[in-house]
Amino acid sequence: MTTIEARAVPTAVPRRGRLDGLWSALAPRATVLRVLAGVLTIIGTYLPWATFVLNEGPYPDKATLNFFVDPLGVTGFRLHLLVIGIAMIVVALLGLPAAGRIIRGLGWGTIAVAVINGLYILVQGGGFGAVTASDGAVAFGAVVALVGGLVAVLGGTAGGLGAKPELTWRLPWWAEWLILLVVFAIVLFLVAGVLTSGGQGGVVNPYAGAVFLSVLGALGGAISALSASGLLTWVSAVSERHRIFSVVVLLVVALLLPLTSAGTEYWMTVAANIGVYAATAIGLNIVVGLAGLLDLGYVAFLGIGAFVAANLSGAAASEIGIELPFPLVMIISAVVAGIFGAIVGSPTLRVRGDYLAIVTLAFGEIFVRSAQNNIGGLTGGANAIPNIPAVSAFGQSFAAPLTIGAVKLPSGVLYYVLIVLLVAAVMLVFANLKNSRLGRAWIAIREDEDAARAMGIRTGPVKILAFMIGATLAGLAGAFFAHKTGVVAYDSFQFIQSVTLLASVILGGMGTIPGAVLGASILFVLPEKLREFADYRLLIFGLALVVIMRFRPQGLIPDAHRRAELAPDAEDETPVVDVTT
Amino acid sequence: MLSTLLSQIVNGLVLGSLIGLIALGYTMVYGIVQLINFAHGEIFMVGAYGGLAMFTYLLPTALKNHWYFALPILLIVGAAVSVLVAVAMERLAYRPLRGAPRLAPLITALGVSVALQEAVRVFYPNATAAVPFPTIFVPGTLIIPIGDGIPIKYSAILLVVVALALAYALNTFVERSRMGRAMRATAQDPDVARLMGVDPDRVIVLTFVLGGALAGVGGILYGGLYNTINIDMGFQNGIFAFTAAVLGGIGNIRGAVVGGLAIGLVKALGGQYLPGGTAYDYVWIFVVLIVVLVFRPQGFFGETERVRA
Amino acid sequence: MTSPILEASGVTMQFGGLRALNDVSFGLAEGEVIGLIGPNGAGKTTLFNCLTGLYAPTSGTVSSRGTPLPHDPARVTEQGVARTFQNIRLFPSMTAEENVLVGRHVRMKQSPIISLLHGPGFRKSEREARERTAELLEFVGLARFSDELARNLPYGDQRRLEIARALATDPSVLLLDEPTAGMNAQETEATRQLIFAIRMLGTSVVVIEHDTKFIFTLCDRVLVLVQGEVLVEGTPDEVRGDPRVIEAYLGAPPDEVEAQIHEAEETQ
Repeated sequence: MTTIEARAVPTAVPRRGRLDGLWSALAPRATVLRVLAGVLTIIGTYLPWATFVLNEGPYPDKATLNFFVDPLGVTGFRLHLLVIGIAMIVVALLGLPAAGRIIRGLGWGTIAVAVINGLYILVQGGGFGAVTASDGAVAFGAVVALVGGLVAVLGGTAGGLGAKPELTWRLPWWAEWLILLVVFAIVLFLVAGVLTSGGQGGVVNPYAGAVFLSVLGALGGAISALSASGLLTWVSAVSERHRIFSVVVLLVVALLLPLTSAGTEYWMTVAANIGVYAATAIGLNIVVGLAGLLDLGYVAFLGIGAFVAANLSGAAASEIGIELPFPLVMIISAVVAGIFGAIVGSPTLRVRGDYLAIVTLAFGEIFVRSAQNNIGGLTGGANAIPNIPAVSAFGQSFAAPLTIGAVKLPSGVLYYVLIVLLVAAVMLVFANLKNSRLGRAWIAIREDEDAARAMGIRTGPVKILAFMIGATLAGLAGAFFAHKTGVVAYDSFQFIQSVTLLASVILGGMGTIPGAVLGASILFVLPEKLREFADYRLLIFGLALVVIMRFRPQGLIPDAHRRAELAPDAEDETPVVDVTT
Repeated sequence: MLSTLLSQIVNGLVLGSLIGLIALGYTMVYGIVQLINFAHGEIFMVGAYGGLAMFTYLLPTALKNHWYFALPILLIVGAAVSVLVAVAMERLAYRPLRGAPRLAPLITALGVSVALQEAVRVFYPNATAAVPFPTIFVPGTLIIPIGDGIPIKYSAILLVVVALALAYALNTFVERSRMGRAMRATAQDPDVARLMGVDPDRVIVLTFVLGGALAGVGGILYGGLYNTINIDMGFQNGIFAFTAAVLGGIGNIRGAVVGGLAIGLVKALGGQYLPGGTAYDYVWIFVVLIVVLVFRPQGFFGETERVRA
Repeated sequence: MTSPILEASGVTMQFGGLRALNDVSFGLAEGEVIGLIGPNGAGKTTLFNCLTGLYAPTSGTVSSRGTPLPHDPARVTEQGVARTFQNIRLFPSMTAEENVLVGRHVRMKQSPIISLLHGPGFRKSEREARERTAELLEFVGLARFSDELARNLPYGDQRRLEIARALATDPSVLLLDEPTAGMNAQETEATRQLIFAIRMLGTSVVVIEHDTKFIFTLCDRVLVLVQGEVLVEGTPDEVRGDPRVIEAYLGAPPDEVEAQIHEAEETQ
């Protein structure tokens, strides 16, 4: 017997603030506003977006078309807007629970798409004429869509956001498995689509950055709408019920990525690089997210692992000049990095908080300086250690293309498979530790070190262990990195990389696995996509850190436990309601 | 031999006075809001670029060649630019985070540091590489006749004199003036200070103003001494200054200056006499930093009770 | 006679020029409940900090069953002395269950390697810890809040959760620092019932409290600490009748204290 039951609290979450009057004035017309928002978004879709063909070539998705050409042939950002617009109207008319919340999410998505594409055309076209009217041509697509988005946010909020519904559907196990399969398949194609959207950045493809950001914006809107509808929470609850199944399917899905549109050498390399930093970020997440110890020199452990691997793999520039099998190299790299982790972590016995952060920064700087000066002839100094041989197994070099029967896979696929397995192993380590005696001890130390000691936790060894394990994981990633890129140079391990790793942990959400992976992905894919902004990359990065700390310090995927702690007064979050009592 | 030693000591003391000057800003801010203001080094850097911009684009050519006109103008402009940036930073980045978990302001400070460095690199003409800085004081070098002669640039003497004078003035201000008392009270216990009628916002802004002004002056003097500035100068010297502040006992003004001089000597003498030479002189400073933080986090002038780590 | 389960002899604690404790000695027998009373600033919490190894006394020793306790809170807890804090020190972002599980830390057989690999014995040790945790939450009356974050619990429940967490270390001695401070009448009553129940378990308890009425009904012996020294030690009856207590206690006018003590007598 299947019981399907959706519980929702239809009453509006009371809002306070200066805009009270506005909301109550708009409230009676909320449904009208919401439908209007959908209509405006759809009209925006079919309006031209650019008055002329830009210098860099036609803007994608026929931004210069005439009004309402080819209604069924819309692609790209127009298609996203069309879907969002229709969704707004449907949700508004059906009167779903939390309709306001859903429409507000969609509205933010529309705004993002409109602003990103509009701004891009505006900047590239050299002025407001490009996105309004110029030389007799009109192009109000961006403006109309933006208005549509704003109306959606207004209308969604005005009629009461509605509490996020608590879906408690229970289906037979096979149905839930099927749903999970479908969801993960969608995730696979989304990941492939997002990764390749806009193509490779740079000269070849001037609009890559805009297309990519626009896709992210639309996706963000869709995800916040899904989350508002309670579906995301429900799916994650289902996958929690079928944990092992989900993990296996996710792993398989990740391994299938080479068979999608992302299956080219270029994207495989990008994915492998993301993997390296994701694995490192998860290691850092143990130190920062679980144990609460700030490490500002963490990339040194990645570097140590990479240099150890470089020296043990028969590279001509290495003074040691021995070649060990790759698995052994990985283990040795990890162990050496772990030992350094213990050394760097040992000051935690006496130093806390900010001062500890500075100590780790100092260790990181000492590492970079030493590597730069080719200490002991081990790091190659400014010449780096080049020509590290590729990993090979069973006569198949990991750097070469792979043919299995009729399937031809691009080079780099084997490295991709290897890094997926490595990241999976690192995730397993993190998850196992988090839910264990040791993990609880770390969290207790993070929460209140004195109380943790009073509970019998020997904080010194436990903290050093956090550093050691984190460093070991980074060392593993480093060994992979050395072989994958073939060159190890000191300048890959500078302070800014440590900050970026820390930022990816924070951006994703401290103490969570998906957070670290998502954070690493965003921070290492964006530069690939936004080559034309390479000059501004770090500037934007620095400002983004400030903005994130100000407005969303809990990150994109916050740890359920830390959510409230880091965002104490987020007025539009659902209040923590205890539904069990 | 002796003259090498003495000239390295002179080098160390010159660099040390500069580091001490920057360290004053670190130590005051940490003393009052318990924030390691990573971006303080960048405030120093921004001051140097501000002064350079003044000199290159605004200063009439007639004044450029007379240091007694150019120098005061540059010092004032450098300090003003630094103060402006420091206050904006406090207002926009740090103030909204008061009371947030301690990680948040620290990461914000990192972000501000990266952003300021990059903003200068991207927007200041040719700042992608080191930029030449004019000599803004009596050119040339004084040779002290000991041994083979110990050279010391006149602009280095200027730097030492100005740095020590400003540190003395700051110390007097903090110890004697009404606002200075308010600062000390806030550093001791912000809540009690508030009850006593001290407005913590004003005290904090004042702290950033004073620290920014000193850093800006430091930036100009640095440029005048080395005749070249680059966007990395803030981060490196900032970390050294932080080390100096800790060495002298955080919150302690005299300690910061003495700590700065000590760090300068470590760099100069370490680069001369320790294995690895100048390539490793930075490393020794970081070693000192670690050793101090681990074994004497209250510094050499701080009282034991005031450990904040 | 066996040596006391917790014994302080000549404990003196000096902070700079301030002598917070001066030559404090007492012994706690197995299953005994001692009340520690005294005016604010008398050094009660300082004494607790010395007993649990948070402070190293300037002179004097703290020992358990004849062996001196180390100046390391973690190892003191391992040896069976657990405490609660005057200002609640829970792990705010952990659930009630997790808080108590942390208390099980010292009694769990789970090496880091087993934690990492979820190897043999992992499930068993986790299950045992969770069962014990569930028992303890039931015992303090917080079973229904098992999955609630500690910081979201009402104040009185937080104090009781702290007691459950301390009990999870399987202590032979439990030190309670003002377990009813800041509670309303209802919460205070519930907590008292809880402490009586802990006493029934046979755990030795030292409890700091301001409410003499409660102390006199609960404790086998009472220690009056004034200005860092033990002023009077004895059974509730002895302490109650001692004029020095009436004179010194709280620095309040004697008749007020007397009234309070009379009130305590009447309810007995």
